[in-house]
Parts: sequence; structure tokens; C-alpha cells
Amino acid sequence: MKDQRVYFEKANFQSALPYQLLVAIFGLFLMFLEVGLAQIPLFYGAAPYLSLIFVYYLRLHHPDVMPVFTVFVIGMVADLLLSNILGGRATAMILLAYVIESRQVKLEQVEFVQLWVDFAVSCAAVILFQLIFFSLINLTLPTFGPFFFQTGITLILFPIGFLMIYAAHRLLQKMKLLA
Amino acid sequence: MRGSDKGKIRHRRIAHGILILISFSLMFVGKADIAAFNKMRMGSNDFLAPVIDVVSAPIRGIQTMVEGMRTVASLRAENVRLQGENELLKRWRRRAEILESENRQLRSITGVVTSENRTPVTARAVTAPGGGFAHTVLVAHGREIGIQRGNPVVTADGLVGMVVDVGSSYSRVLLISDFNARIPVILASSSWPALTVGKNGSLLDLQFLPNEAEPVIGDLVLTSGHGGVLPNGIPVGRIAHIDGDDILVRPAVDFRHLGYVSILVGGLDGIDNDNLDLGKFYTPLPEDDGSRLLEGVNAAGQRQ
Repeated sequence: MKDQRVYFEKANFQSALPYQLLVAIFGLFLMFLEVGLAQIPLFYGAAPYLSLIFVYYLRLHHPDVMPVFTVFVIGMVADLLLSNILGGRATAMILLAYVIESRQVKLEQVEFVQLWVDFAVSCAAVILFQLIFFSLINLTLPTFGPFFFQTGITLILFPIGFLMIYAAHRLLQKMKLLA
Repeated sequence: MRGSDKGKIRHRRIAHGILILISFSLMFVGKADIAAFNKMRMGSNDFLAPVIDVVSAPIRGIQTMVEGMRTVASLRAENVRLQGENELLKRWRRRAEILESENRQLRSITGVVTSENRTPVTARAVTAPGGGFAHTVLVAHGREIGIQRGNPVVTADGLVGMVVDVGSSYSRVLLISDFNARIPVILASSSWPALTVGKNGSLLDLQFLPNEAEPVIGDLVLTSGHGGVLPNGIPVGRIAHIDGDDILVRPAVDFRHLGYVSILVGGLDGIDNDNLDLGKFYTPLPEDDGSRLLEGVNAAGQRQ
């Protein structure tokens, strides 16, 4: 016999699904922008990881609107468009999502500079993970220069990206209150 | 915690585990070069490329504007430089006409038949390499106009790469700077054969160059045409660095400013372009046993 309580569950009017969808679309937009930025000569072969900043912020402050499936989709689309090892970035980002989740309580209380350092480590770990598998699968090492540049430029953009996402988040909250 | 919540968490964990498993196994399956997998990959690129085109339109606009402003600022200097270059080109043109005529005469004497029936198709580069793991670009033409796997891609400056995946409206081009790209080449000054290998960076490795060759910095490197996939005589780059056996080539094409490219369609008769084994297109020279392998003149017109 079916548990009677399930018939009396409250209807979920506060579903996170619309927000999750919005976040997924914006995450994909950032990923496309990342691919587009590579057309600027400065970012040739080393476009900044904009989507990683987004994933990092949301998995830290709002994991409810950034499920692991969204992280997987963003990573897979990046791998497809950049012709990377398929699944390389997706796996690295999913693992990062778990690491952030496990350290969420601690990271929410630290100063911004510490958060920045933590992001630097996370960004390097994502690149290193892909680099290790790339080298193992292809039995070769690519030129390291672009990876250093890519990490550096992502770290420089981190505070700007963080502030912009924070501002957008505040704006959405105000709009929600007004509605 | 209620039972339903526990169940949800358990289901979520299982789903996450499956996701990690899928993405992890894809890393190895993707490398296996399975035809169905490649089709799916190119199909998704066909779907995603127009979106990138739209998203990167403002970026291209800003880039054009910045370049336009830079051009205006240096208009006078550019004019002087172009006038000088024009004079030089006129002289080269006269020389090229003489050489072309001489070449035609020599071909008719030796009975050489050239079998180049390739048609250039201009295509716009939709993406650029965004990471250090792969150097490929998507171009806005596909199967619909007869592009095939293996078609060479060039610009006025030289070789860009070759088509490795073809979708209905978009194709993926492997740049010569990708570590998977191995181009059979010759040194223009001496006709010694070698192989350029990409390093996913700005320079290419020149490998398998015979010890007898004496390369110098600035030597032009051309495609040799071995294997028949790439036509011969397309500039690949110039030697930029020599340190013992470590020879680096700077590509003739500046990939950072790749706007439009020409895809050379056709000319792949007799080649199974669905199963290109690029490793077979280069055969290292046999051991030097003193016998003469080649007679004739080299690219500089000197007797070998």
C-alpha cells in the first residue's frame, strides 16, 4: 500500500526549476562567449574560463540553482565546441562542483582574497586534470604557455566576474521581492 | 529527515555517479574515433555553431572597430609601406611570369602531367582555438557544397590545415599547429623532405629531416605532396629556430587573424578520405647506401 503522506505533500509553488533553467541558459551563454572571445588575437588558444567563474560562484552560494547536471552540460558543450577530449572538462567541473559543495560552509565565511586563492587552486586543478588525461591518452605533452596565460587571465577576471554575478543576483532578488 | 527526502538524496547520488561515469568514459570512447560518435559530434557542432556565430558577432564587431581605428591612425605610414611593397611585387610578378613560362616549357619537354583539379571555396572561420588542448576551427561550409574529409585549407599566405570532420553546413578544420597534424614537407632551398608536427603552440616541430640537410633560419618550408592529400608547393612556414636536432618552424599563416579561408575541394580521387591514416603519408628516407635516389633540379633551380 502506498504511503498516505505522499497524497498530502504540499504543492511545490517555490520550485527551483525555472531558476535552474535560467542559470543553465546563462551558463551556456557564458560558455559560448568564452568560445567567441578566442577570436580576439589576445585570447587565441587561451580564452578565459568565464563559465568556471560562474559555476564556482553558484555552486558556492546557490548550489540549489546549479545542479550537477547543468555543470555536466556546460562542460560537455565546451568540450564539443573547443574539440577538447570529450568529457574531460565536464568530469573536471563535476568533481570541482563536489569539492566546492563539501567545503561550502568554510568557504562562505572566508575573506574575498582567500576565496580568490581558492579559485586559483580550483582553476589550476581543472586545467591540470584535463592536462593529465590529455597526456595519458595522447602520450604527449602540449605547450604549457597557453595554460599559464589562460589561468592568469581567468584569475584576473575572477573579481570582475564575481562582482557582476553578485550584482545580477541582487537585482534578481529585488525583482523577486517587488513581484 | 523524512523517508522521501532520504530517497531523493539516494536517487540524486546515483544520478550524479552515473553522470561522472558517463563523462569519464567519454574521454576514452571519444579517442577511439568511432564513426557514429564522430557523426554525433559533428551533428552537435552543426547545431551549436550558428549560436556561437550570433554570440560572437558583437566581439567581431568590436574587433573590426579597434582594427579600423588602428588602421586610420597609421594610414600615412601604411601608404608609404604599401607603395614600396607594390614596387617590389611588380618586380616579383615580372619574375614569376618568366619562371612560369620557363616552367611550362620544361614540363612540356619532360612530359610531366599535373593532376591538380581542386576548386577553392571561400569559407568564414566561425570559431578559433580557445584552449591549449586542441587547435581546430569551425568553418561555415559543409557537405552541402561538396566538402570532404581531407580537403586542404589555405589562405593567401599558406597552409592552414585540413578538414577533419564534415557536417551538413559546418566543417571542422585541424590546424597545422595542432599536435595531431603531421604535414609532409620539403625545404624549398634544398628539397630535403621532412615532417612538421604541431605542438598546440605558435611554432611547429620539424622532424625526420635527414642529417645531410643544412637548414638555415628563414628557410621556406613547403608541402611536399606526399600521399596525395595535400597539393605540393603550398607554403607551410619558415624555419625560426635551430638548436641541434631541435628545429622549429613559424607557420606562414597568422592563425590569430583567421577570418576567411579557402577550402580546396576535390583532388582526392582514389583516397579513402573516411579512413585517412595520416601516418602512412610519410615514409622516412631509406638508409644512405651511396646510390643516388633523385636526379633533377631543386626548388632553387640548382642541380642536385
